[in-house]
Amino acid sequence: MSGIIARGAQIEGDLDLDVDAVVIGTGAGGSVALRELARAGLNVVGLEQGAWSRSSDFDQREDRMLRLLFEDAGGRATEDMAIRVLQGRGLGGSTVHNTNLCKRTPDAILDLWASKYGVADATPRDLLGRFEAIERDLSVSEIPAPMRNANNDLLRQGCEALGWKAGPLRHNRVGCVGSGFCELGCAYDAKQNALKVMVPQAVSAGASVYTEVEAVRVLHDGARVRGVRGVVRDGEGRPRASVDIRARVVVLAASAVGSAALARKSDLPDPHGQLGRGLRLHPGAVVAGRFDREVGGWHGIPQSYECTEHLSHEEGSDKRVWIVPAFAHPIGAAAALPGFGAAHMTSMRAYPNLAVLTAMVHDETSGEVTVGGDGRPVIRYEMAPGDRKQLAKGLAACARILLAAGSREVTIPAVPPKRITSIAALEALDFSFVRPHAVPLTAVHPMGTMRMGENAKTSVVRSTGEHHQVRGLFVADGSLFPTSIGGPPQISIYAFALHLAPHAVERARG
Amino acid sequence: MRETTDHPGPGAPRTVSRRRLVEAAAAAALVLAGSVVAVARTTGYPLRPGLKLAVLAPWQFVVVERAARRIVAPDREGDASIPSPDDLDLAAFVDQWTAHLPRSVRRDLGRFLAYVEHVAPVRAGFMARFTRLDAERQDRVLASIEGSSSDLLRAGFDGLRALVFLGYYRDPRTWGIVGYDGPLVGRPPSGWQ
Repeated sequence: MSGIIARGAQIEGDLDLDVDAVVIGTGAGGSVALRELARAGLNVVGLEQGAWSRSSDFDQREDRMLRLLFEDAGGRATEDMAIRVLQGRGLGGSTVHNTNLCKRTPDAILDLWASKYGVADATPRDLLGRFEAIERDLSVSEIPAPMRNANNDLLRQGCEALGWKAGPLRHNRVGCVGSGFCELGCAYDAKQNALKVMVPQAVSAGASVYTEVEAVRVLHDGARVRGVRGVVRDGEGRPRASVDIRARVVVLAASAVGSAALARKSDLPDPHGQLGRGLRLHPGAVVAGRFDREVGGWHGIPQSYECTEHLSHEEGSDKRVWIVPAFAHPIGAAAALPGFGAAHMTSMRAYPNLAVLTAMVHDETSGEVTVGGDGRPVIRYEMAPGDRKQLAKGLAACARILLAAGSREVTIPAVPPKRITSIAALEALDFSFVRPHAVPLTAVHPMGTMRMGENAKTSVVRSTGEHHQVRGLFVADGSLFPTSIGGPPQISIYAFALHLAPHAVERARG
Repeated sequence: MRETTDHPGPGAPRTVSRRRLVEAAAAAALVLAGSVVAVARTTGYPLRPGLKLAVLAPWQFVVVERAARRIVAPDREGDASIPSPDDLDLAAFVDQWTAHLPRSVRRDLGRFLAYVEHVAPVRAGFMARFTRLDAERQDRVLASIEGSSSDLLRAGFDGLRALVFLGYYRDPRTWGIVGYDGPLVGRPPSGWQ
């Protein structure tokens, strides 16, 4: 029997339910958990804080989509405002706005989690079938060369000229028209994401989903989970109705920020002070290269090629930078370019001739998610010196690639901006200016605030995803990861949710 | 000499009492000065008739309006193809946008605007509010914040800059400046410009 998707506005009066399981969040992890619980014949409900949008809602306008698809309208940041943290909001979570990059968790990372962090039953061999299943569900394939846009092709040209390790990326799109508006939601329904694939499959299997419902507390007695309390808010954000759901299993899948914040608000047992700690972000900064010819970087698939010359997933490696294109539409580009006033407008006139790359750090910094006095998440992250060095190295590498590809002038958007026109000038540049606040930093991959592992003193949940102290409480999002994974996390999150779901099913069956 | 401590020992009450008296007088003076500043800070900011603000106070609206004129100042004086932020009603957009931000973010924005209006000009060497300075001096004030040694102030400026760019480059009338052909969805047959 098929389930339903109900918007908050459709909920009349208070909602009071008895079910087998509740899943909080409907992104990559939550949607898979929801589907698997429903397919097991269980009575399962999904709660989503954001709205249910259709492809017809994605009008490719930056201002409207920021408000529709992102937490805090794209304005979420670390507590010190040094790093902008872009996170999805709405049915499908961050899979609605992401750029569809599909990479499996590197074997070296899985081996490290097993050997150093005590994660059991999650070796490359254990997960192989999960990755394959998820990639089938999402129709993952290599992005064909003819679909590579000019920005990505300049990355390829630069890497080839330098002899650096690079290659095409894989994605989960079918029927892509190359509009280039992926980060604002796909108006053509080409993204094979949680919104299009997983949530509908969950609903077909009997799951019910309520959107615009905010989970405010996980109910538990310290040893067993009891359910979830939530609120339905009106258009002004005021509570309109209460939600009380009793369940044997609760799955947290509201992101490494949202899940940890909700867990903290719920006063879960945390005898070893691990909850919310270990946050990784993959912080990144951009470098822009101006070319004599038009690039038109906003046309076509935004990210289809990568440079891995400076990326190794081995522990202790000095190569921890992943480089991909990062072109933005005008609002994002304006914010990324340095300065203001007439000089800034002159820089913006070069917009069609720019190619933009980002250096994203496979970070070792350990941040933390707490809860502020207003009940909202607080993200603390002070970039460690080693990560700053990696960022500097990454920015230098981006500049070198752009110059090798023929850029007339490369700009690193610091204050004051660093403008470089030759390899000699690049090699002479002192990169000690690179630090948070001195260059604009953005993060799109929060991970690691409810780490998995067998040792309750160093992790929050078991290798099964179940909380060490609270029976029936599971985690199924990027919070699980004991370390950074050094690449796009969606496939890892989908796959781990699939891998851990049987344990939640077993618990829900009692 | 007797050391000052946070926990004075026996015999200290009389000294503390005198100190408290001085502190009370200083506090009263500060309250009075603060009240004068508060009144001065929030008056003298006339809005155009009929304008209703969602969350910004009139003085905040005017600071945003004047700062926006400098942040997206045209690079070609007199070029009619460059809309001004006033043409786009940019400050009103910022007011509407801010209404949907978390309360804590709105509070921080208000504090930063107060800094721009009252403190930054003094630190840049001008004895007038930001909104009463000419364009060149306003640019110098904004540049002083942008290049401040304070991470917090630079972050605040970046936030204001981002809001202004959001309000400016969201409008199809600005896309011609940067050569952007705009969304495919809803694109008029003759293009957006």
